[in-house]
Amino acid sequence: MSAIIEVENLSFGYTPQSMVLRDISFEVMPGTFLAIAGPNGAGKSTLLNLLCGLLSPRSGTIRIDAAPVESYSTEALAKKVAVVWQESMPVFGFSVIDTVMMARTPYYGPMGFESEADREMVAEALEATDTAGFALRPLGSLSAGERQRVFIARAMAQNTPILLLDEPTNFLDLKHQVGIYDLLKAAQLQIGKTIVAVTHDINLAAQYCDATLLLGADSDYQYGSAKDVFSAEQITRVFGVKVFTGKVGKEKFFIPLGKFAKDNGEIGASPNS
Amino acid sequence: MNGQLTAKKLAVRTASGLIALITVMAVCSLIGTEKVSLKAVVDGIGLQGAVNPDYEIFVRVRMPRIFLAAIVGAALACSGVVCQALLRNPLADPYILGISSGAGLGAIIAVISGLNWTFLGRSPIALFAFIGAIGTVWLVWFLGRLTGKFHITGLLLAGVVVNTFFSALIMFLTLVAKSQQVYATIFWLMGNMIEEDFLVLWLGAGCVVAGMLALFYIAPQLNALSFGENDARSMGVNTARTHIIAFGVAAFITAIAVSLSGLVGFVGLVVPHAVRLIFGPDHRQLLPLSGIIGAIFLVVADTFGRIVVAPAQLPVGVVTAIVGGPFFLVLLIKYGRKVSWLK
Amino acid sequence: MSKWCWLFLIMLCWIGAGFAFFGRQEKQNRNSSVLPGQADRIVSMAPNLTEILFALGLEDKIVAVTLHCNYPPAAAGKPKIGTFWQPNIEAVIAAKPTLVVTLGFEQQKNLAERLRRIGYNCLTINIEKVSELFEAIDRIGTATGKQREANQLVSGIQKKLNGLTALVGTRDKVRVLWVVQREPLRVAGRDTFVNEMIELAGGENAIGPTVYKYPPIGAEQVIASGAEVIIEPSMTPEDLVAQRDKAFQCWNRFENVPAVFNKRIYVINGDVVSRLGPRLYEGVESIARCLRPELFAD
Repeated sequence: MSAIIEVENLSFGYTPQSMVLRDISFEVMPGTFLAIAGPNGAGKSTLLNLLCGLLSPRSGTIRIDAAPVESYSTEALAKKVAVVWQESMPVFGFSVIDTVMMARTPYYGPMGFESEADREMVAEALEATDTAGFALRPLGSLSAGERQRVFIARAMAQNTPILLLDEPTNFLDLKHQVGIYDLLKAAQLQIGKTIVAVTHDINLAAQYCDATLLLGADSDYQYGSAKDVFSAEQITRVFGVKVFTGKVGKEKFFIPLGKFAKDNGEIGASPNS
Repeated sequence: MNGQLTAKKLAVRTASGLIALITVMAVCSLIGTEKVSLKAVVDGIGLQGAVNPDYEIFVRVRMPRIFLAAIVGAALACSGVVCQALLRNPLADPYILGISSGAGLGAIIAVISGLNWTFLGRSPIALFAFIGAIGTVWLVWFLGRLTGKFHITGLLLAGVVVNTFFSALIMFLTLVAKSQQVYATIFWLMGNMIEEDFLVLWLGAGCVVAGMLALFYIAPQLNALSFGENDARSMGVNTARTHIIAFGVAAFITAIAVSLSGLVGFVGLVVPHAVRLIFGPDHRQLLPLSGIIGAIFLVVADTFGRIVVAPAQLPVGVVTAIVGGPFFLVLLIKYGRKVSWLK
Repeated sequence: MSKWCWLFLIMLCWIGAGFAFFGRQEKQNRNSSVLPGQADRIVSMAPNLTEILFALGLEDKIVAVTLHCNYPPAAAGKPKIGTFWQPNIEAVIAAKPTLVVTLGFEQQKNLAERLRRIGYNCLTINIEKVSELFEAIDRIGTATGKQREANQLVSGIQKKLNGLTALVGTRDKVRVLWVVQREPLRVAGRDTFVNEMIELAGGENAIGPTVYKYPPIGAEQVIASGAEVIIEPSMTPEDLVAQRDKAFQCWNRFENVPAVFNKRIYVINGDVVSRLGPRLYEGVESIARCLRPELFAD
């Protein structure tokens, strides 16, 4: 089985002088849940933009399904990769169902209308993200969290093997955070989707992801399973903050410690000095 | 409107719209300062040489005007839809990228240079206005690209700069011109419907309808672009190609409209909003319906301008401004609270 | 891509069909020489044209005039086709004209063009100078088969004008300021027919050459002009005496101008001096009465 995403010696900078990413290489197998974590400015969103073809690498290659990203037409790439952006601003009053239907644009007939198959796909996506209840309401009337779920539904309706998400749980409450991750995991396990999610929440990511890319400043990166990559020393080095390591059964979790953090003697863990 | 758009729904709505348009055109062709009897018109068909003023007025004066109003109204409304979609700005109108000042400058140059030749039986004003309009759009496009690839803000700013500069040029030339020429230019700038040759109407109608079809072809892409370029690209829209087609076609049909009838304002701004508020923002529906309603609006406005201060005539641009301004205000107040993107 | 090919093809066919059906019909140009026999239903688009037509004895043949055509009085009774500035083309057609006479400025030239395209006979005449007036009378005479009357009219006017010129003499030209509007102050310049009338009446324009025909001027220029006579044509012919009193009040602030100092401010009936028509002589005479009242003391 060959990798669905191959990144080889990728380097990129917005200007030739300042390279944001330097010589990054990793492979993602189909059906993997990859979490990309790291401090602000390390280049996580840039990496995502490169993966979906919005930016071109200065050197190195990115291959989607064994073909370089540049070789795909926009339409063909949209059938392989769907993206949930950090912020999508609706300008006109499209309804939820119209928004999700737009994901089917690459599959429309010549006159630009959707088919039964498209409608089914959309209905499924709405069900899966628990947004069917307000399908006819305009997007602007929803809360930020509900809107986020709609955009995830849209990406799912696009029915692609790869799903990229840029901080998908930013605006969600605890219940929906878990709900989204459950949803993504279900998609991964049942349909075999490859999920790549940029996230700030390393604990939640650690619960769900199979692989982790910890991207630090100066392209100091670690790639591997969550168990290997997430350790107190790594996190402190990459994020520059002290953490409290806790354990729930076999799962480790990390809580950052600031100057005014409360006394941290808790069950089953040792504070990191 | 609730529910989703299907091809069938769209066909039904478009057909109803067309029937409404034809009805309005027929009714308005019987309204005017002179009484025209339909029987006399019908009798007059095919008869050569006999003097039949009813026929002449109906066929040679009223019908061309009404057709022209319909063509211009449809072109401006559709162009307005596209400009609002591409610039992602509900306050955009077809003139925002310099077409109005470019056409005006072309027209006033034609008037001042006192050229006497005719093009397709018309004065050179129309041709110069067309060239001015298209040339200005190209200039704005070029300037906008200097700020970066398809950056919308760059395009808007370039449009504002060009509009301002050309408007100043127009003012200067107006000052220097002889008084009669000035009157002629200002009259042109206010928008007016003059009866045209059938050939000109035929060609104009063909271009505008073809343009509307082309825009309909890219309507799904325009829908996607409403969410921003990144979103559109990740949904498979070739944003560069869509931008070029959309701007090119919108500029073309606007230039045709402006060269035929001068500057008619408010149609391109108000009609898309009204249609969007009633039927929703899906461009596959917005485009044909805005075209039809724009045509109806302008036919009615022109008829109004013909009879309200008879025997004088209110330029149609004045009527659309008088009607469009308050109408827009009412829309804003009534729906501003309900519609999310106005928050 | 094929839907785009279809669109392109259909457009080409549409354009071709357009030229096939309508291309031939374009040439509707009648040449500008009008056969006299056709002038039995005439529409006049300007007050001075109406006067000329009446003066040539064509009253019965005139079927419509503009709202401003008020002389001779019979003209006021004719059907109207709109104003001088904004004619109503539908009304023109409804009058079933065989000849439409228009002036030559942009607005009316366009109207004549439109009517010609529909297939009507139009005669477009420029009347901006006195010489053009005589030409115009001549052309209208030829077009309507009234050459004899036209020649008589022209020679009649010229004879009377020559008589007046002999009376007022060619020396001692009176400096005249012709005020068309008081606020803001606007006068007739040297490039106008009014100026010609002033000169025929034995005067000269107090204002030097200007860029505009009817320029607005400031107080400086009024004083520098050294006008000996100020004439204001009035569009409301009632109560010229009261208007003259008002004029004196308004001009009082220019007490150093000879015309004001000598109380030589005149308000005259604007009708005969605002249009260049057959009453040219009456107009020039009314001006001469202001410039040399002593010559008309009878």
